[in-house]
Amino acid sequence: METPAIRLTGLRKSFGGVEAVAGVDLEIADGEFFSMLGPSGSGKTTVLRLIAGFELPTSGVVELAGADVTRRAPFERDVNTVFQDYALFPHMDVIDNVEYGLKIRKVGRRERRERAEAALAAVRLEGYSHRRPGQLSGGQRQRVALARALVNRPKVLLLDEPLGALDLKLREEMQLELKQIQRQVGITFVFVTHDQQEALTMSDRIAVFNAGRIEQVGTPAEVYDQPGSAFVAGFVGTANVLRDKVARAVLGEDGCFAIRPEKIALGGPAGSGPAGFGPAELGEAAPDDVTATGRVVEAVYAGATTRFVVRLDAGSPDSTAQLVALQQNLRTSSVDVQSYRDTPVTLRWRREHAIRLPD
Amino acid sequence: MRRARIITGLATAGLLALSACSSGSSGGGANPADGKPPKIDKLASLGAGEGQVNIVSWAGYVENGTNDPKVNWVTDFEKQTGCKVNSKVAGTSDEMVTLMKSGEYDLVSASGDASLRMIYGGVVAPVNTDLVPNYSDVRDFLKMKSWNSVDNVSYGIPHGWGANLLAYRTDKVSPAPTSWSVVFDNAAANAKHITAYDSPIYIADAAMYLMAHKPELGIKNPYALDDKQFNAAVDLLKAQNKNVGEYWSDYTKAVQALKSGNTVAGTAWQVIVNLAEADQAPVAAVLPSEGATGWSDTWMVAAKAKHPNCAYKWMDWIISPQTNAQAAEWFGEAPANPKACEFTSDKGHCDKYHAADAAYASKIWYWTTPTTRCLDGRTNVTCKDYAAWTQAWTGIKG
Amino acid sequence: MSLLSTDAGRSGSSGPARRLAAWLHRHPSARLSALLSAPVLWLGVAYLGSLAVLFLSAFWTVNSFTGEVVRQPTLDNFRTIVTDAVYRTVTLRSIGVAVAVTLVDAAIALPMAFFMAKVAAPRWRRLLVVAILTPLWASYLVKAYAWRVMLANGGPVDWLLGGDGNGPGYGLTATILVLSYLWLPYMILPIYAGLERLPDSLLDASADLGARAGRTFRSVVLPIVVPAVVAGSIFTFSLSLGDYIAVQIVGGKTQLIGNLVYANIGAANNLPFSAALATIPVLIMVVYLVAVRRSGALEEL
Repeated sequence: METPAIRLTGLRKSFGGVEAVAGVDLEIADGEFFSMLGPSGSGKTTVLRLIAGFELPTSGVVELAGADVTRRAPFERDVNTVFQDYALFPHMDVIDNVEYGLKIRKVGRRERRERAEAALAAVRLEGYSHRRPGQLSGGQRQRVALARALVNRPKVLLLDEPLGALDLKLREEMQLELKQIQRQVGITFVFVTHDQQEALTMSDRIAVFNAGRIEQVGTPAEVYDQPGSAFVAGFVGTANVLRDKVARAVLGEDGCFAIRPEKIALGGPAGSGPAGFGPAELGEAAPDDVTATGRVVEAVYAGATTRFVVRLDAGSPDSTAQLVALQQNLRTSSVDVQSYRDTPVTLRWRREHAIRLPD
Repeated sequence: MRRARIITGLATAGLLALSACSSGSSGGGANPADGKPPKIDKLASLGAGEGQVNIVSWAGYVENGTNDPKVNWVTDFEKQTGCKVNSKVAGTSDEMVTLMKSGEYDLVSASGDASLRMIYGGVVAPVNTDLVPNYSDVRDFLKMKSWNSVDNVSYGIPHGWGANLLAYRTDKVSPAPTSWSVVFDNAAANAKHITAYDSPIYIADAAMYLMAHKPELGIKNPYALDDKQFNAAVDLLKAQNKNVGEYWSDYTKAVQALKSGNTVAGTAWQVIVNLAEADQAPVAAVLPSEGATGWSDTWMVAAKAKHPNCAYKWMDWIISPQTNAQAAEWFGEAPANPKACEFTSDKGHCDKYHAADAAYASKIWYWTTPTTRCLDGRTNVTCKDYAAWTQAWTGIKG
Repeated sequence: MSLLSTDAGRSGSSGPARRLAAWLHRHPSARLSALLSAPVLWLGVAYLGSLAVLFLSAFWTVNSFTGEVVRQPTLDNFRTIVTDAVYRTVTLRSIGVAVAVTLVDAAIALPMAFFMAKVAAPRWRRLLVVAILTPLWASYLVKAYAWRVMLANGGPVDWLLGGDGNGPGYGLTATILVLSYLWLPYMILPIYAGLERLPDSLLDASADLGARAGRTFRSVVLPIVVPAVVAGSIFTFSLSLGDYIAVQIVGGKTQLIGNLVYANIGAANNLPFSAALATIPVLIMVVYLVAVRRSGALEEL
């Protein structure tokens, strides 16, 4: 097997008795766009800082391209970082910021300038060379930070929530742009984020962090469709979790199951519900499908989709099990939504979409 | 001038305002060029006390027990005369002059370098010595001197005197010096460890030295220097400056420098030497063959005194044998009243300070304010005045 | 102010206080001037006024014998200062001391402030700031005299340097040493404040881009804290330029401008000449501040 770009073995890090990273083993392949996803305080940023060398681990080993760099200083590691606050040097103009790393590596003046300008062009910032960071917008600063890191041609680029401070529109643009750049330069990106959407959109693989440990590593589809734990199911996207009596009543099985809201088809009994909400929406039932009935508690219009919160009849009256189902608004309009409340509905999904979770 | 304590510097701002405001009020001063102090009548007869008296003095001259409970000659005075004493300590002669000009004070203990300025400035009045019974006991060699009288008119009551001695470390300077040459012509032998008094008046020490060693300059009085004489003294001091470790104006600083050996030889007062010796430092003092400069302090009454009777009562009290003994011993100087020698707690005090030694006293050139009118009586030349001395002193220190 | 009161007076019958308050609400500039007029007046009279009097009196002279101030404008004082070589020497020496003290303080304060702001654990920071401030609570005189003892012949400094007379003794070196000690907190605190505002990520970024600690300090920390250093230098420079007490205690025979000013007030009773001398440091500081203004350090004060 090829040597991984990054290999972490038994990595632990405590800050004054608090264990921020509680044993992480991970391999990241060369050229991979790898995301570390988790809520704040889950240890993902600390792992990034351990890879960069800003922190030294309490125990464990960090290898870069097969070499043990655990005890090496940041400037001895062939990685570069894009910081959450960009960390641009405020007293230097844009070109000096980008050239900084090259200057330290004693790259000749002409080559330095050429590479810096090329890097700025790659992030679409030609003509901004002589501005100060303070004169740039958030998105522009972000791109300078990217250029400053990429110009050094590191083997690995570490990105610490680089899009966190941008507004949604800019953020979506940057997500695509980052992905493109990664494909162009072909180096390993390790991307820290707490935004599951972002991670799913951009990554080749995702590691989901929780309480200093990795809960699951996999491709976006694996993590999304086959969550390895209730935490992953809940943190990556939304999931309905059925357990115990409800699971038994609905699925006829013991255990704990997760179902994604968009996998659930929803339809009313013929003639009883509002328009566009009849048995036709349920489609043909396959032999192995699971069907349940319930009543709409809440319907929320969200543009492309409508979210239905349904109380299941199964297990009633002592159970208050609810399911969330997401429906494409093929015909539904925001005006109709209110009238769905309290209507009886039928829910249907394919049996394999109810994923058994470890207890 | 002596005891120029650092603290006073902190009050400079206040002083600044004071002198700026006060200068207009006493404009009736004499023109010094005509050589006559303004005509002010002395007190004709003593009346009843006014209930209080305001005094400007050197530290240690007016003690009411707050510094040391055993050192108190104010309480008894207040009891006996009914005059409440309000005292203000001045750090330098010039501060004294400034304070007296404010018109708030009745009485001042002035050194010779302040007294004439106040006499000619019309700040102080002549003193009727007949109204001070103890005056008759005062040593004759302190009466009617150039710093406390003008044209045979007495302007004050002598308090005490002392000499600026040559102090030296017995372990570093041998043989024991008998001449000021150890700090002038031979100073290089103790380069960087010579000390000198930090005041323009110290130019007189150099002049006195030249008086003995360069008779061709014709110096008759170290406070009366014409251009040539003055320049010679200044040159001598500039040469001395190369070997000076530090100048002192705060006597505690001089004590410490002698004890540590930073100072090996230089000008000091008897009290400095005593304090250093008390700490077992190998220090001795000598009155060199050339003589010495010194001070002689005089109690003077303000021309516009609001409480003249109490002021006269104080002057008589402070030179009474017991009080004069206490004050002289507390400060460390020779008392003006020889009868005081019987009352000092250290019976050797008067001997140590050479109080009765007329020969010793005659070698002392007491501090006097230099004026353009030569103090030695010459009329064919003008002498350098104190302002010129001050400017020169800055140049000497470089 | 007069505008304000007439308006209030006209409002008369229905609650003048209320009318005044409403009027003030509509006129923020009047509100501001009402608020600031007292302090500005104080500043103007007490500060600028005294400076003006100082400058004015520099043109007077003193009757050398009686000590009376002669209020006839003349340039004599300034002529003396310009023509007499000793004043030039002393001025240059004073500037030299002020520069040296500033450099020594900057050299010590930079690593210390860096440690306080970036290396020490946050809970230690406050303690360290207090520790830096503690010497300021002790009397200036006590500290200066303590140094006099330390620098004495055979004193602790000599002993540390291996024998009597090995230390600097009293003199120019001792003056610079003691002034540096006295004013160090005034340099550390602005630099500390400046460094505290410097994000840690800048240091990480520099290391990340290949810079060792020294390079990071030179290329990132130093340029960013320069305004803070300049702000601190305003303190150390002006305080050193005006000092005369420490010099008197440990300076040996050294004299600085402050000593001349003091001697002319105290010993010579020549206030006008002192005033003329005092304009030298004022002028130097004005030049310095104008130069400093360009660096943006005044915003750090």
